Amino acid sequence: MGKFVLKRLLALIPTILIIVFVVYFIMDLTPSSPGQLILGQMASQEAIEAKNIELGYDQPFLVRYVKYIVQLCQGDLGTSWVTGKSVLESVFARFPVTVTLAFGATLIGIVLGVLLGILAAVKQYSIFDIAGTTFAMILASFPGFWIGMMLVIVFAQELGWLPSFGTGSFAHYILPWFTTACAFIASQLRMTRTSLLESIRMDYVRTARAKGQKEGIVIFRHALRNALMPVVTNAGINFGTLLGGTVTVETVFTLNGVGTLILTSIRSKDVPVVVGAIVILAICYTLVMLVVDLLYGFIDPQIKARYVKK
Amino acid sequence: MEEKKPLLEVENLEVVYQTDEATIRAVNGISFSLNERETIGLVGETGAGKTTTALTLMRLLPERTGRVLGGKVLFRGENLLEKSANDMRHVRGAEISIIFQDPMTALNPALTVGDQVLESLQIHNTTGKSKEELNARVDELFNLVGIHAERKKEYPHQFSGGMKQRIVIAIALACAPQLLIADEPTTALDVTIQAQVLKLMENLKKELGTSMIMITHDLGVVAEICDKVAVMYAGEIVEAGTVEDIFNGKVHHPYTVGLFNAIPNLDEKTERLHPIDGLMPDPANLPVGCKFGPRCPHCTEECQQGMPYLYENNGHRILCNLLKKEVNNEELG
Repeated sequence: MGKFVLKRLLALIPTILIIVFVVYFIMDLTPSSPGQLILGQMASQEAIEAKNIELGYDQPFLVRYVKYIVQLCQGDLGTSWVTGKSVLESVFARFPVTVTLAFGATLIGIVLGVLLGILAAVKQYSIFDIAGTTFAMILASFPGFWIGMMLVIVFAQELGWLPSFGTGSFAHYILPWFTTACAFIASQLRMTRTSLLESIRMDYVRTARAKGQKEGIVIFRHALRNALMPVVTNAGINFGTLLGGTVTVETVFTLNGVGTLILTSIRSKDVPVVVGAIVILAICYTLVMLVVDLLYGFIDPQIKARYVKK
Repeated sequence: MEEKKPLLEVENLEVVYQTDEATIRAVNGISFSLNERETIGLVGETGAGKTTTALTLMRLLPERTGRVLGGKVLFRGENLLEKSANDMRHVRGAEISIIFQDPMTALNPALTVGDQVLESLQIHNTTGKSKEELNARVDELFNLVGIHAERKKEYPHQFSGGMKQRIVIAIALACAPQLLIADEPTTALDVTIQAQVLKLMENLKKELGTSMIMITHDLGVVAEICDKVAVMYAGEIVEAGTVEDIFNGKVHHPYTVGLFNAIPNLDEKTERLHPIDGLMPDPANLPVGCKFGPRCPHCTEECQQGMPYLYENNGHRILCNLLKKEVNNEELG
């Protein structure tokens, strides 16, 4: 098991090299003058050029890329061209908001999605199934920001139950969580339903019934356990995606998350922040996927056996 | 002399699978009975309704499609088809057990084999045995089927097919059922393992005094372990009797004759095998009259009209018009 984790962590290195290359390259395609950004509109042309040279912007792309990688290896993500603050600090200042948002939304998605999915599969073609899948399709079809605004109108403006923006307390997160979770509930429901329908038809489920086992235990212990693989994968991918991809929801609820940070940095061509934030997100994403892979081992003893052997 | 009361009586059982497109008549009015300590073989080709019969006895038909249209399944005098779902749960696994055909898929890949055997015991633990006692019983069962008890902590994928089938047998026997249904227990295994598993089942049957329904299409298996045989064709029992009747009797249903002819004979030198021509009729669209008519070499116009004649001689029953003539001839001569 330890060896497996180590191997996966080592695989992180080339992944990050490639990610940095791609992001760095794309940011380099548009003309930029970091000197101008740092010194502002009023600075003289000479000062700007001197600053550019100081930052190494007279050198070719590949040289700058290698230099950045060397810096990265020392844990230095550079400083923002716009604010002058350390990139690491500004990303981590935003991180709690994003993680809270992503984690809560994923949790809601898993709980509601899996429960509704089980109901839909066990009572296939019943009213629960049809209502559940239709509801899921409707949820998935509306854009997140629209659902967010509707929720704000109903629960914040009309009923006044929940705050509509900010991050002060638990209550602040309820609307953003549900808004983000909507699409996820839908995908999780469909995934659980399909996967469970498949495993319910397996012979070992019939064996469990033939033992005289209670239907509830047959479903949870025998069918669901073997149907969890795609469900866990989906949850992992969703959580990973949410870490960087909640910009619209962050905007609607004026939450200061990593998504908004990246967006504003791209607008202002603040290359160190963009690259730094993406590198951190990429590392988080790969770690989440590693956790997913380890969970596989708990679900399927055959996969676990494979980890242990190597 | 006191008459032996049958353990299981199936009367006129009729089962269909109802789908949107068609009604598949899987079992069409079969009757048979089984005494304690007896083994009956249900023989027939794929699609003859053998497995459907087994699933009906266990009340495990697919919920949405399977329907029992009529008949009774009397187990120790009680009609299983009228039991509530909860009462039936206490019969399944405890009094009637089933061994399914494919051991490769019959075990849950996510649980240890020991837990799967233990589960059976826990479900029917009516006497409140402790965990230690149950675990001791699991060890005992593993030894009984010839697997080292230490291996109970392993998962199904760590066992071979024959070993898995032994575990399936251990699960089925866990609560010492009175009736064991074996649905082609050796079909998915290779020949050497088949013999081992059969031997094991036979020994266990003798030791535990269990009655058994052996579903198979292998006549060799039937000859070896059955007391009675019912030959099924297109959801009907076309011939039934003791093993003696079927293997050595003078009169047979043409289908049974065909089945025996289809077995290659080592003593004779023949160029080719003798399969029964034609295919089993589509169960969604069964022929009128004798179901075997379209494939029968002796089929007459009479056969294509009504239900065939039921010949009965000392418990040997055959569903065929040919035997009507035979009886008549005998009477005439």
